[in-house]
Amino acid sequence: MAIRSIKNLKEFSTANERFEGAHLLCPGCAHSMIVRELMNATDDNLVIATNTGCLEVSTAVYPYTSWDTSWIHIGFENAATAVAGAEAMYKARKRKGTLKDPDAPVKFVAFGGDGSTYDIGFQWLSGAVERGHDFTYICLDNENYANTGGQRSSATPVGAHTSTAQAGRVSYGKKQKKKDMVAIMAAHGAPYVAQLAPNKWKIMAKGFQKALETEGPCFINTVSACTTEWKFDPKDTIHVTDLATDTLMFPIYEIIDGHKLNILYRPKTVIPVEEYLAAQGRYKHLFKPENKHVIERIQKDINEFWEYLQRREEAGV
Amino acid sequence: MAEKMELQEVEVWDGNYAAAQALRQAQVDVVAAYPITPSTPIVETYGAFVANGYVDGEFVMVESEHAAMSGCVGAAAAGGRVATATSSQGFMLMIEVLYQASGMRLPIVLNVVNRAIASPLNVRGDHGDMYAGRDSGWVQLDAFNAQEAYDLNLCAFKIGEDINVRLPVMVHQDGFVTSHTAQNIHPLSDDEAYAFIGDYKPVDEMLDFSKPVTYGAQTEEDWHYEHKAKQHRALMDSYVVIDRVFDEFEKKTGRRYKRLETYMMEDAEVAILALGSTVETSILAAKQLREEEGIKAGIIAPRTFRPFPFEELREVLSGLKCVAVLDRSCPMGAMGALYNETCGALATIPADQRPLVTNFIYGLGGRDFSVEEAKRIMREQKGHADVGYITTPIQQFSGLRGPKLGFFESKRS
Amino acid sequence: MKGVLATDKRGVRELGAEDLVGWDEVTQGVVLNSFDLEVENPAFSRPEERPYSDFNSYTATVASWRVIKPVYNRDICIDCQNCWVWCPDTSIISRDKQMLGIDYDHCKGCGVCVEVCPTNPKSLLMFAEAEDQEAALAKWPEKKKKEKK
Repeated sequence: MAIRSIKNLKEFSTANERFEGAHLLCPGCAHSMIVRELMNATDDNLVIATNTGCLEVSTAVYPYTSWDTSWIHIGFENAATAVAGAEAMYKARKRKGTLKDPDAPVKFVAFGGDGSTYDIGFQWLSGAVERGHDFTYICLDNENYANTGGQRSSATPVGAHTSTAQAGRVSYGKKQKKKDMVAIMAAHGAPYVAQLAPNKWKIMAKGFQKALETEGPCFINTVSACTTEWKFDPKDTIHVTDLATDTLMFPIYEIIDGHKLNILYRPKTVIPVEEYLAAQGRYKHLFKPENKHVIERIQKDINEFWEYLQRREEAGV
Repeated sequence: MAEKMELQEVEVWDGNYAAAQALRQAQVDVVAAYPITPSTPIVETYGAFVANGYVDGEFVMVESEHAAMSGCVGAAAAGGRVATATSSQGFMLMIEVLYQASGMRLPIVLNVVNRAIASPLNVRGDHGDMYAGRDSGWVQLDAFNAQEAYDLNLCAFKIGEDINVRLPVMVHQDGFVTSHTAQNIHPLSDDEAYAFIGDYKPVDEMLDFSKPVTYGAQTEEDWHYEHKAKQHRALMDSYVVIDRVFDEFEKKTGRRYKRLETYMMEDAEVAILALGSTVETSILAAKQLREEEGIKAGIIAPRTFRPFPFEELREVLSGLKCVAVLDRSCPMGAMGALYNETCGALATIPADQRPLVTNFIYGLGGRDFSVEEAKRIMREQKGHADVGYITTPIQQFSGLRGPKLGFFESKRS
Repeated sequence: MKGVLATDKRGVRELGAEDLVGWDEVTQGVVLNSFDLEVENPAFSRPEERPYSDFNSYTATVASWRVIKPVYNRDICIDCQNCWVWCPDTSIISRDKQMLGIDYDHCKGCGVCVEVCPTNPKSLLMFAEAEDQEAALAKWPEKKKKEKK
């Protein structure tokens, strides 16, 4: 079992890449940063399933594949089930002795965007986690249906402009709060769930390792800043992600066995959320005087959630 | 190591139990399934086999039929034998995955216990689900009784896994009439059944780490068409393998299956063309008509709904006077699917060899289809044959309460 | 322009410029093989050693996507690997903890590497696509003085 030692970034960089370039993702896309961090965090063989979405559609268009490991895409909602089926087949063939290399270590991983994870593929993910398959599900959360041009999903935060919950003369964008997938997965009894961010690469890589090593279904929500739909310059992906983690818009934490919450990153200085909102075109309408109350609400929600996380961590539940 | 079962020479099984036994004997690696009437007993029986040590593979009870087929596809791509069962609404729910499975050329066996489709909600048998899957790219085999449900399952694995086919296969049987009716079954022993099917040979398996593969790539206008053509060709040409497998099965068991089954057609002047348990009802009717009324009646039944036995059908129909094509699924706005296939085949033979063709929609939602009704229909065909044209509307509803419902008259000139 | 560690497999054809073969030659089930030969787990081999198949995107190039490109200055670089970890296109080549340079077959010119480079002056800077490598290095700016607040 190959858990790679990742003491520092130089050591991490000795990984041999298994995610190839010349894919079709937008320049600056955080999806591939996250995928590379996952694939470089382990030396194990990987069987990866991906839901329809930016990642799938950009890395497997005939006649090219960007994956150096076995990979399957079936449809929009069923990557979790696809990998669950592969995991079941692995167990069956191992028991029957029909595997080509039965001792080769393998990890089963599923990727899905927020659309396929929070919305259309929710049931499939829920079922696979409830059944306890040994796999890791990573949600690449860019808070919208980016692949089809930026429609709202249940991961879209309050006040964001999307093409189906638009900011206009009589609307400030999405009205509903973002669904808390991490809590939902923890409530399923998943042995390890976390929210991670690619800018904090070490916490992310170690979190991925923990999930891969934990037996059973693990869920990781990752913030994937989307240059095209969040509307910022492609070079600023890490900068925007820094703002996301340092405003605590995306707190980084883990929950072990559904009842032990650990905060994994505490910003030295917590930045007011306005700075994060100001860096993205999808929030620019919030700076009109009539929408100021939305910014206040967003800040209030962040403060409350951070307070809740800290209380839970303190109480050890 | 899974325990074997000692089976008797003649067992008393219903269609569901027979299918479950076939799945057990095939030593399926992964069954991902979900319950739905009337296919539930297949899954329950298989679950009982698992719980009592008769199954070595994995049994995954998923959270919906869509997930059942998705799990089967993921497992099949991982390189092993896969099967499941469903009906009606479950079939409709998994329909997108059916297309995905066949597009990826993955052998999977799906038992479809045919049941009507909502709305209105109905749990009884008709062929709505079978018809809904007809463009999905699967081989579709139809069992008319419980023995055939058993036999065709064994054949299905062998056909689908053949290197020249590599397509998923459906085994259909009528809901309740076949699935829940206990009959005498002559099973093969566990060893014989498995030996007939053989070991699963993985192709492009995800669990061979020395050859990483990508499944489910996207194709656009530059590539999609060629891939679909190749898939269509594989399904069209699968008849070669189907014939061979049926041959081998006959050698093993003495039971002979043909892609187009025919009964008393050598000298027939009128015929019924149907699928499912209706075939056996109609055979009884044909025999009685011959004995009691001197009407030369025959029965035609596609064993393979897909690939459709186009050549065999026009062969057997050539020279016939009149055929009633029975569709147990309401086409809603058109002629029935079997009627259309039949007429399509007949359009390619000389006009003077074509029989008159009528269409009956019948048996929807489990409405019974009797021997008497079959006789009435064939007598009606004889009436058409005698005057040389269809005297009734071309499409009619059989067994419907209320005023007669029919569509389209023949054009006489 | 190929950049560092180019192999005869890398960036061989423009993405989208493949031969359009007939229905009998397309792969069965749209299945794609990543490699031509059997490999041990690729995690244990370097990309330049692998038998990539023509179906692997490694063999394609997206160089034409760029209008600006990063230029790497070896003299200033401290091998921190920031650019390596955050490159979305696997275009920063690092071997044995040393930054070697840019894979210009796969670089899309997004500019993330420049933004995350911590040195002063930066070890990576964006230049016009047509800029000559040597000319770019000659234009390298001086260390930026810290602004007095």
